[in-house]
Amino acid sequence: MKSDKLQDAMGMVDEALIERANKIPKKKSKFRHIRWTAPIAAALAIIIGLGVFFSMKGNNNPAILNTYAVSQAEYPEMAKYPASIGGFVYSEEDYDKWRDSLRAQEEYMGQGENLAGFFQSTASEFLGECETDNKVYSPLNVYMALSMLCETAEGETRQQILDLLGAEDIETLRTQAHAIWNANYRDDGAVTSILGSSLWLDEELEYNKDVINTLSENYYASVFRGRMGSNGYNKAYANWLDEQTGGLLKEYTKDASLSPETLLNLVTTIYFQAKWDGEFEARDNTNQTFHSTTGDALYEFMNQRITYGDYYWGEKFSATKKDLRESGSMYFILPDEGYTPQDLLCDKEAMSFITAGKGWEQNKSLRVNLSIPKFDVSSDTDLISGLKNLGVTDCFDMKSADFSPLLSDKTDACIDSINHKARVTIDEKGVTAAAYTELHLAGSAMPPEDEIDFVLDRPFIFVITGTDSLPLFIGVVNNP
Amino acid sequence: MDDKQIILLYEQRDESAIKETKTKYGAYCLSIATRILENPEDSQECENDTYLKVWNNIPPDSPVYFSAYLGAITRNLSLDRLRKKKATKRTDSVCISLEELEDCIPTGKSIAEEIEAKDLAEHISAFLRSLPEAECNVFLNRYWGFLSIEEIADKYSFSKSKVKMMLLRTRTKLSNHLIKEGFIL
Repeated sequence: MKSDKLQDAMGMVDEALIERANKIPKKKSKFRHIRWTAPIAAALAIIIGLGVFFSMKGNNNPAILNTYAVSQAEYPEMAKYPASIGGFVYSEEDYDKWRDSLRAQEEYMGQGENLAGFFQSTASEFLGECETDNKVYSPLNVYMALSMLCETAEGETRQQILDLLGAEDIETLRTQAHAIWNANYRDDGAVTSILGSSLWLDEELEYNKDVINTLSENYYASVFRGRMGSNGYNKAYANWLDEQTGGLLKEYTKDASLSPETLLNLVTTIYFQAKWDGEFEARDNTNQTFHSTTGDALYEFMNQRITYGDYYWGEKFSATKKDLRESGSMYFILPDEGYTPQDLLCDKEAMSFITAGKGWEQNKSLRVNLSIPKFDVSSDTDLISGLKNLGVTDCFDMKSADFSPLLSDKTDACIDSINHKARVTIDEKGVTAAAYTELHLAGSAMPPEDEIDFVLDRPFIFVITGTDSLPLFIGVVNNP
Repeated sequence: MDDKQIILLYEQRDESAIKETKTKYGAYCLSIATRILENPEDSQECENDTYLKVWNNIPPDSPVYFSAYLGAITRNLSLDRLRKKKATKRTDSVCISLEELEDCIPTGKSIAEEIEAKDLAEHISAFLRSLPEAECNVFLNRYWGFLSIEEIADKYSFSKSKVKMMLLRTRTKLSNHLIKEGFIL
C-alpha cells in the first residue's frame, strides 16, 4: 500500500508533538470515564446476631438510615481512576493523585500472610458439604465478622475465636484486621472493594461505649440505634444491607429484619466489582455441555485465548487465572478426572493452592484457550455448626458465652445465628474471537509445551483475590 | 509514580517497571491497539508486546516523553500486525484514516523509494511544528492516534465540520510540502 511508508513515518514523528496532542485541553475539565460494566461482581453479607431472628419485610429508603444513625463510617478518601479518552492519557496530576491514594492503601498490604490456616480450615468446613449445589464463601468477610465478635467477648469465648483466627491477642488481631480492611479497600471508579460493617443496637439497652468505639474506629463500623423489631428499624437495616452490597443480595435482604429479642446485631459485608483484564467477546460465546453431578446440561460458555496465560497444576488439579484490571485475579481450579471439588477441599495440597495460589511453584506460562460457563451463583449458609467443628463453641452456649465487655449490665447473651449469604456473578462484555477445543486434563502431568485448552465443563472451584492477593471469595460451581 | 521513576526501574532492570507501566498506561496502549486492530485479543497481545519491547529497549533508549514513546511502539506493533494479518481486510476506522492520509500522495505519484521512513518522519515533524498548535493536534489525533472525527470534535469542542476542514487543509499543506521537498515523485 502506498501509504505504508507514510504511516511508518507518522509513527516516528517528534514525541514532543505527540505528548502535546495527547493532553486534554485545559478548558475541558470533564473526563469521559471508562465504562465499568460489572463483568464480575460479588457481594455477600454475614449476619451475626445476639438473640433470635424473625422475618419481616424490608423496604428501601436511603433517608431512613439517618434516623437511626449514631455514627456512620467514613471510609478513606480515594482519588478517582483517571479515565482515558480516545486512547490518550491525560492529566498527569490526576493520575498522581490516584496513584498516591492507592499507595496509601498499599501501605497496609502483606498483613494477612499468616491467615492461610484460617482460610484453609474454614473453606474446607463451609464449602465441603456441597455435592450438588453451588456454594460461595468469603473468607475475608467472615474473618472481619469474627474479629469484631472477638472484640465483644472475653475469657474462653474470646480465646476460641483468637485461636481460630491465629491471633496471639486482641490487640494483634485488631491491628491486623485494620490493616486487612485497608489493604482491600478500593473505591476509585475502576475497582470497588469495600468491607462494610455495622452494629445495630437496641435503644433500651446500655452498651459499653469503649467497645462500640473500638469497633467503629478500627473496623469502620457504622452504628445504629433503635427499637428492635420496629418497622422503621427493620427498613433501615434492610436498606443498609442493600446499600453495602450494591443490591446484589436483594433475594436475601428483602426478608432481613431485627427481632425484638435481638440484643445486638453485628453485620459485615463485602462488595467487590472489577473489570476483566481483557474482556470476553459475546460473539464468541458457545453453547456447550456442562457435566454436572446431576446430569449434563447446555450452558453458555465464554471463550478466550490468553496468549500469556498462567497454567498451574497439582496432584489432583489443574488451574489457570484471569486477571482483573487494577485489582487481583480470578482463579479457576479444575479437579482432575475422577476427583470432585469436594475432594480438593479436603486435600492439603489443593487447599494450599486455593488459599494462596500466588507464587505456586508448579506453574508455566503458555497460551491458554479458556472456556468458562457464565455463572451467577449464590448461597446462604448457616456457619454455626462449622464454627463449632473448628473449636468455636462457647459463644453459642448461654451458660458459657461471655460477652461482658459489650453489655454493661452483664446480661446473659449468646449467639443465636450466623448467616453467611454470598453471590458471585461473572459476565463478559464486547467482542472477542477465540476458538476452543475440549481437552480433558491430567492434572499431575506436566503441561504441554506451548498451548493448552482449559475447558471448565465439569464442577470446579473459583477463587477471587483482591489487591492484597488474599481470597475475597471462594466458591464451588456445580451447576453454572 | 512519575515517568522518570518508571524509566529508572527499567534502567535498573527491575521487573516492577512493567507493572507500573501497565498500571499507568495499560488502558492507553490497549485503546491505541484496539483502534487499529478492532480485535480485543490481538490488541491485548500488542499491549503485552509493547511492554516486552520497552523492556528490551530501555536501556539504551531513554525516552523523554514516555507516553508518546509507548504509544508509538504500540501503534507500530499494531500496524505491523494489521499488515501481516490483513493484506485483504483492514478495519473500518483505520481504513478510513489511512485512505485520508493517502490523499497527501496525489494519484499517479508515490513516495520516492530511496527515502527512509525516518527521514520522512523528520520532515513531517518539521512541517507539523510549523503549524498552529490546534491544527497540529487535530492532525496527530486523527492520523497518529486514529481518533474519529467525532471524538476529536468532542475533545477540542470543535464542530465536526471544522475538524474535517482543518484535516483537509493540513493534508493539502502536507502534500504540497512533501512534493516541494522532493519526497513525492
